[in-house]
Amino acid sequence: MTQSVSTVRSVLLTHRLLVRQLLTPGRLLALLSLGAVVVLAAVGVAASDEVEDPARTIIEVMDGLGLVLVVPVVSLVFASASLGDLREDGTLVYLWLRPMDRLSVVAGAYLAALTVSLPLTTLPLAAAALVGKATVDGVIATVVAASFGVLAYSAAFVLLGLMIRNPIIWGLAYVLVWEGIFARFSEPVGNAAVRGYTRSLLANLSDVGLGPAAEANTSTAVLVCVFVAAGSLAMAAVRLNRMEVD
Amino acid sequence: MSNVSPPPPPPPPPPPGTRISSPTPSEPLIGAEDLSAWPGTGPVMVEAIGVTKSFGDVVAVSDVTFQIGSGVTAILGPNGAGKSTLFRMLCGLTQPSSGTVTVLGRNAGADREVRGRIGLAPQQDALFDRLSAGAFVALAAQTHGVVRAESRTREVLAQVELDVDDPKPVGSFSKGMRQRVKLAAALVNDPDVLVLDEPLTGLDPIQRQRMIALFGELAERGKCLLVSSHVLDEVARLGSNVLVLAQGRLAAAGDYRSLRDLMDDRPHRVRVGTDRPQQLAAALIERGSARGVTVLADAVIVDIDDIDGFGRIIAPLTVDLGLRLDELVPLDDDLESVFRYLVERRR
Repeated sequence: MTQSVSTVRSVLLTHRLLVRQLLTPGRLLALLSLGAVVVLAAVGVAASDEVEDPARTIIEVMDGLGLVLVVPVVSLVFASASLGDLREDGTLVYLWLRPMDRLSVVAGAYLAALTVSLPLTTLPLAAAALVGKATVDGVIATVVAASFGVLAYSAAFVLLGLMIRNPIIWGLAYVLVWEGIFARFSEPVGNAAVRGYTRSLLANLSDVGLGPAAEANTSTAVLVCVFVAAGSLAMAAVRLNRMEVD
Repeated sequence: MSNVSPPPPPPPPPPPGTRISSPTPSEPLIGAEDLSAWPGTGPVMVEAIGVTKSFGDVVAVSDVTFQIGSGVTAILGPNGAGKSTLFRMLCGLTQPSSGTVTVLGRNAGADREVRGRIGLAPQQDALFDRLSAGAFVALAAQTHGVVRAESRTREVLAQVELDVDDPKPVGSFSKGMRQRVKLAAALVNDPDVLVLDEPLTGLDPIQRQRMIALFGELAERGKCLLVSSHVLDEVARLGSNVLVLAQGRLAAAGDYRSLRDLMDDRPHRVRVGTDRPQQLAAALIERGSARGVTVLADAVIVDIDDIDGFGRIIAPLTVDLGLRLDELVPLDDDLESVFRYLVERRR
């Protein structure tokens, strides 16, 4: 009557379920508003007579608002909720007590978070870059940096959702305080923060210098983001396997 | 007033399919017997050996040992007795602090194959509220790898009398309907072991009757059903073996009749309302009709061994004494009292 559930099937089933669970009107509205703030800032840059170099200024806006706020916050909201909400409301048991391997459940949750977060970050930021008169390289750099940021943050926040209760609060503290303040001005801290590498990607690909803590080369930045994602997902699978489920 | 511990009644015979052992073999336990002899006819499907689960300083389950084969086994106990924690350990959702728990010979938490042979209807009400009943049960079927998931979903939803085509989300369902959705999801993979935590809660009497009949059919097909309840009447209708859990400890085991006998045989306490309580109390003690009495202003609280015998003598006695008999109220004719009695017996 039953047969083993393949890894791919497990990933797809989990993904389909969680995309549906994640997409609530409240979340969408709040996070679209966040993207709209960046677009409005870009409109301000484009309209201002005082901006001497709009192409440079808009990249700085993408750095200061897009990579500090939009990318990590959108990733945090969806990724931490992907399995964290299930854990907290008691529905995780309906994925946990199944003949599916844990990594495939984690991968499905991660892909669900990406499915929602990538368009909600890259589209508003690309639109803002265009509105703010970024160069073509600047637009591409924005999209690439945001995408790798979402890849890394989402994996880390899937893990966070499985580790602690109230992941949004702790995640925001990490994003806004550690990455938003310390990593921006300190090179050693920047090296230990995802943001340092997304900034590096933005700076390298747009050819706009963004100062300290944004000096990794492109290959290193990509590899670090991929490594953070892979490591976080592996740890999340281990955590899921060992955790107590209500 | 004096209260004397009653002598332990002789242990009723253990039910087929259930074996229970005390952690200290010298300590008598209802239904207890030598661990070396497995009384059931089929294989052991669920086994707990010396299982303890603590949450900090709180011991939720303490040194519980049993083996269960096919059939319906009811885990009976008051709220907070440790039933849900025991079920969570059986399903691998939490690991015991000490001891071992196996389902079909393996640890469900670590063994993917065994997880596919368990059906769990958890006590908590949480469901994926945005899904319809059909989508929820279909998801359970797909994640269990059920072949022909769609037809099986239709089949089990029909068994619990829900419409697979009803588009309403389960979030809008009544408690009884949500309960039936959980049951359908637990049944969808045709599991060998069904763990049902308070599955009859929220169902109307007709639905309860149908679910109990369904449990019986599954038991006849060789399935192992563990059903928790805190309601004695439910257990009576399940017609099942019973494990009684009280304060985290396995207090008794037996079939339902044994438990019922135990309820009747244990000491009882009755309030007898009368206009002259002192005179009645003196007469009861003098005639040896009471183990102890407490005299109140308008009643006597009487401790007795034989509730039926007391019922026969009290009315003639009050007539003989010329007293008025205002009321005769059992003070401990509930399951909580039985649990208390069982726990005290084990001390």
